[in-house]
Amino acid sequence: MASPECFPPPTRSINASPKSALLVENDKSLSSCFKIQLETEGYAVRSASNSEEGLRLFRDLNPFNVVLINYYIPPREGVGIDCLAPQIHGVQLAMAIRDIVPLQGIIIAALDYTSAAEVPRPPELMRVPLLIDNGNGELRRLLEKVEVSRAIEALTVSEKLKLRKFAELLVRRLGRAAGGEDWEDLLKEAFLRTWIGTESRHKGRHWNKKVDFVRHLTETMRSISNSWSRQRSSERDTYLVSELSIVDADGRENSPLDSVASKDAPADQDLIESDEMDEVVALFDQDLEAKQVLRGRLGGLTDREIKKKYRFDEKRYVAIMKRIRELLGHRAHA
Amino acid sequence: MPYKNNNNEHLAKVMNELADSVLGLSDETILAEVREAGVDPYEEAERTRSVLRDAVELLENVNRRLSDLGHTINSNYWQTRRGGYHNDCLNCGASVSFTTATGEMRGQALRAQCPASDQYTMYRREASRK
Repeated sequence: MASPECFPPPTRSINASPKSALLVENDKSLSSCFKIQLETEGYAVRSASNSEEGLRLFRDLNPFNVVLINYYIPPREGVGIDCLAPQIHGVQLAMAIRDIVPLQGIIIAALDYTSAAEVPRPPELMRVPLLIDNGNGELRRLLEKVEVSRAIEALTVSEKLKLRKFAELLVRRLGRAAGGEDWEDLLKEAFLRTWIGTESRHKGRHWNKKVDFVRHLTETMRSISNSWSRQRSSERDTYLVSELSIVDADGRENSPLDSVASKDAPADQDLIESDEMDEVVALFDQDLEAKQVLRGRLGGLTDREIKKKYRFDEKRYVAIMKRIRELLGHRAHA
Repeated sequence: MPYKNNNNEHLAKVMNELADSVLGLSDETILAEVREAGVDPYEEAERTRSVLRDAVELLENVNRRLSDLGHTINSNYWQTRRGGYHNDCLNCGASVSFTTATGEMRGQALRAQCPASDQYTMYRREASRK
């Protein structure tokens, strides 16, 4: 694991400060094209036309949100490219930058190849995004991925703990509807949808950079858990027609339509959910205060009403809430 | 839902509020809560980071494997079903799926080369780029 000092600045600064990019491209027309695209995406761009200059600018001016390097970059000013020789300078520059900042977001532009599988590069750079085709907003998509990766690395210890605890409580809320899935599954699912959202604003869950990354993930988890809950609920309400048919004593089959669910909850459904609620409350059998708060909340009382009813002062109430979170989170994890 | 269930709604509301209350905790409080539970907060935080990283790895592994076998998928068309993602090769129609919980990948597209893919690697370098 890289040391924390190597991490880029915290997530919040991504939203607050202007984004910056280092562009290392020798071809003037491509450089100009990339610069326009980066600026359109809100990056302040510094440009270099060879590997040596690129490294110098990086050393002098980092941090950058992203470094875009042409795979075919010449080593120094005035040195041409031998197209028949193996191209190593772009890769070497990327390695040198990763030596300085191990988690630096880098994109390598390899426009002369037709697929990422063809681009020779060392194992350390296998995960670096490659720009193979500069059409159809491909660079924008890669920039999104770099920003999301950067946001993960920038999460503080307490933010990660909050994400975990939040996920645990949502899974606990799901009860049986969680269907055996735990907090890791929920968080993973939320993040995958965010990753897929980098591909398209219409798919997955696109991260709006004006929203804090933690808030984005928690809202995504909430949305997923609601959808799991709905799915599970509809699964429980699904019956085969044969299951609904009733044959009376005279052998006559009654219409299944007679058995279609009414506006009222089916009795078994009601029992299941009542059981789940009792299970949650029963966790606090040894903690009367927590049980009182939980019963109050389940009964629709507000924080203020509960405090007034049971004469809890603020400090005591906070401590009780902490115990509730702790036990419910712990159970969800277990 | 075809009916209204007060029990369920209340429980969901309470649990939602509890989850929200976590976000309002100060850094010191959340660290202290985790420590009091007898757990190392840094280990817990690292595990959360791994969960996030694993999710990306999983998807990128699938993409890499498909690319190595010459399959072309449109990443806008990952179909999400509970715990699973499904897609098809645009050229040969072979399917691919993976599950987030176990990381399991399966499907015809992961077993064989795409018959419709171009087998010849093409390298080109425009003369103007020197």
